[in-house]
Amino acid sequence: MRRAAAILAALAALPGAAQPRELPPTPATPHEFRLPERETLRLDNGLAITFIDYGSVPKVALVAVVRTGNIDEGRDTWLADVTAEMLKEGTTSRSAADIARAAAGMGGALSVGAGAEQTTASISVLSEHAGDAALLLADVLQNPLFPESELPRVLANFERSLAVSRSDPQSLADETLARLVFGDHPFGRMLPQEGQLAGYDIAKLRGFFARNFGARRTHVYVAGRYDRPALEAALRRGFQGWSPGEAPTELPAQPSETLQLALVDSPGAPQSSLRIAVPVPDPSQPLWFQTSLMNSLLGGTFGSRITTNLREDKGYSYSPDSSINPRRGGALWVLSAEVTAEHTAAALTEIFREIERLQREAPADAELEPVKNYRAGVFVISNSSPTGVLGQLAFMDLHGLPDDFLSRWVANIRAVTPAQVSGMAREFIRTGRMTVVVAGDVAKVGASVKALPQFAGARMP
Amino acid sequence: MARAPRHARWGLLACAATLAACAAQAPQLAPPAQPDATAAAPAAIDIPIEYYRLGNGLKVVLSRDTTAPTVTVGVYYHIGFRIEPQGRTGFAHLFEHLMFQGSGNLGKMEFIRLVEGNGGVLNGSTRFDYTNYYQIVPAHVLETVLWAEADRMKALAITQANLENQQGVVKNEVRDNVLNQPYGGFPWLTMPQVANGNWYNAHNFYGDLADLDAATLADAQSFFDTYYAPSNAVLVIAGDFEAAAARAWVERYFGSLPARPQPARPDLTERVQQAEKRHSYVDRLAPRPALALAWQVPERGTPQHYAFSLLDTILLQGEDSRLWQKLVKERGYSGGVGGGINLLGNEFTYDGPMLWMVYLIHDPGATPEAIVADVDAELARIQAEPPSREELARALTKLRASLYDLAGSSTRFGLVDLLASFALFDDDPARINRLEENFRAVTPELISEVARTYLTPERRTIQVVQPGGAQPPAAGGAP
Repeated sequence: MRRAAAILAALAALPGAAQPRELPPTPATPHEFRLPERETLRLDNGLAITFIDYGSVPKVALVAVVRTGNIDEGRDTWLADVTAEMLKEGTTSRSAADIARAAAGMGGALSVGAGAEQTTASISVLSEHAGDAALLLADVLQNPLFPESELPRVLANFERSLAVSRSDPQSLADETLARLVFGDHPFGRMLPQEGQLAGYDIAKLRGFFARNFGARRTHVYVAGRYDRPALEAALRRGFQGWSPGEAPTELPAQPSETLQLALVDSPGAPQSSLRIAVPVPDPSQPLWFQTSLMNSLLGGTFGSRITTNLREDKGYSYSPDSSINPRRGGALWVLSAEVTAEHTAAALTEIFREIERLQREAPADAELEPVKNYRAGVFVISNSSPTGVLGQLAFMDLHGLPDDFLSRWVANIRAVTPAQVSGMAREFIRTGRMTVVVAGDVAKVGASVKALPQFAGARMP
Repeated sequence: MARAPRHARWGLLACAATLAACAAQAPQLAPPAQPDATAAAPAAIDIPIEYYRLGNGLKVVLSRDTTAPTVTVGVYYHIGFRIEPQGRTGFAHLFEHLMFQGSGNLGKMEFIRLVEGNGGVLNGSTRFDYTNYYQIVPAHVLETVLWAEADRMKALAITQANLENQQGVVKNEVRDNVLNQPYGGFPWLTMPQVANGNWYNAHNFYGDLADLDAATLADAQSFFDTYYAPSNAVLVIAGDFEAAAARAWVERYFGSLPARPQPARPDLTERVQQAEKRHSYVDRLAPRPALALAWQVPERGTPQHYAFSLLDTILLQGEDSRLWQKLVKERGYSGGVGGGINLLGNEFTYDGPMLWMVYLIHDPGATPEAIVADVDAELARIQAEPPSREELARALTKLRASLYDLAGSSTRFGLVDLLASFALFDDDPARINRLEENFRAVTPELISEVARTYLTPERRTIQVVQPGGAQPPAAGGAP
């Protein structure tokens, strides 16, 4: 019970207790956790299907992941999103209203959405409707109608969302960060330009669909409770006639590794949105577990150093947080914090202080072991639902991770040493590699931010 | 203490996490029912429930499910933002933060470190009629968590510095979610202030920044002494545990806490509205206009309330719903129409008057009058003609599926939320297993009748958000 002992020791060592304190009961022995079984088969056209038999209620989730998204747009920002949305506007044999009613009648709703590298179509239904749900999904992905009559409305909806994003200081900070980090790569274009969406016509959507959708790029995941032979038959019937199409796009991003600082003006803003990004190894690389654990300790948990400092010590911010955005070949460590305007420079100073402290000193076991426990516990929670497992498998497939990635996951996290955590901060979270964005009232906060010693010599795009 | 939900890392927990977070995407965790009243009934949902009270009045609900080796613990206090003290708006929520700042045997950050350091996640949230604290932990950590929750039910131990720190955090939370956000607080925070007439239902629940600043340690102690008593709380344990051991730990750690009498609850009654209300305000960051409509709903637990839930499902929940088809698909006013009963939870997780809301962000070309006229036309249709058997069956299927989702969730948070609400408000957590029959008892005619009685123009409130004035952000919350 080394882990529990470490926590108890940490608690007991806290100074200032006025009276003898009662210690928490020591946790018992961990229960065994087994990952659910899974099985993958491949159709002749290249489409993969993974079955995960798991869950306690008569429901089944079907998720088709197509390896396309914003990465395939070129300069046509959001073309992937508009195309995905239009898939819901009807097929050659069903209207949009038919689709919505059919999905609801099965106890679910069809959802389609584009991401950076994956477009997903998903539906979760009562188990007895699994086969019909599979056929609905297959129809939507293969036989979209792309009705001319619906496009103006759909584009107006995207225009409205765009306007809201452009008036949101947090979203503007994110957009600027992406642009500075990824430059001309599609990952660098989070929001379309003014007037750009109006140029997307049906021909353009059809072209995008024809180039980027097909069986070879598609993996259907099924998780929950279902009649396996019947569902497999329905999936084969629905998808076996789909043409293979092209292989997924390889378009490696080249994230910036030079210090840059951008100030985005939001006059009158009561808060400043801080963003700091550096490239880190993606999940396919051996250092993934070390950087991932480093992130948890530095800013990735409630009790992490940056969160504790900015929130619980200073009260500058409500939800400061760091995370790793694991894009293939372009993974980023990103620190995000919305801080009180008058504390903008002070908050940045504290963030740098925490980063530099971790670079200088390896964390004590008593601090790192609980972080490992946290990651191991959250791993079990994340893998304890059909959709949770499904998401993990889709993540592994995107990154080309080996079959034992999940079964070795906890051991790999446990194996990381304090020196390695500190080493990752030294190697990757260096000021010289950072892109920093501050969105706020520039007249009020700009000068004190620019004067910070860490930004000496920064490129100011 | 909640963190904002922006970051995917918090995944499923995020929505439950903040006071404000869920407004736009409140899950309709409603109940079940069966597709066709004439078909053979599928197996009804059957949640195992053990329910009892300790000598000091603490309600305890145990629900065992060993699908995953985790356990969810929820402690719910029957004090929400609705009945916080006048002159101290936002205090119930500020106090929620203080409950993480120290108790008899746990100093600041120690509760959080104890849970995270043993592989769990935790959060708290403040709602209309409860404040909750919950953890999802590996099963073997249950006793540790029960000890810690009992420790903070026993005694609050915070300093002036802790209080000031959390005043700063909460003010930043309000800036994050309301003041520095387009449509911040709309309509979950803004509408009740206009539609309701009773101060308890109509004040700024997040709190005016000046009121937040005015809070003192004495206020905190008095609030704790009054409302954080065992007899005003329920403890729910759901997941992988042994019942005998769990009962013994509950008795050992909570059983010795003294009983404390509760003050009478204030009168929360809302008078039946006699004339339409209209309200409009400028949102400095909003680029487009927005519109919300609200009506009072029937009393919770009555046949009319179950009928209203079905009415909500038919009119507003999902892309097949009537208002979505009319406003989004046919008219193209917006990319979506939101709303429901209790935007910060669901139709069962409150205890008092409640609004049903419908809201959307639209383009300047569409007038509020035109949109309201389209809503009226849809209301008139269902008021005149009961829904078909087929449409009612679809609504019941949706409700059944969402109940399964709640029962099958690995966080079990929705399940704990419902068990806690039914225990706290109705002294009857087993009600969860009777939801389906209550919904199936609703006739198409009752749905129309409820629409005729409750969804009238006289009883509605219309709120309009005007885009982008140039004035600096207001000092307070909503309108």
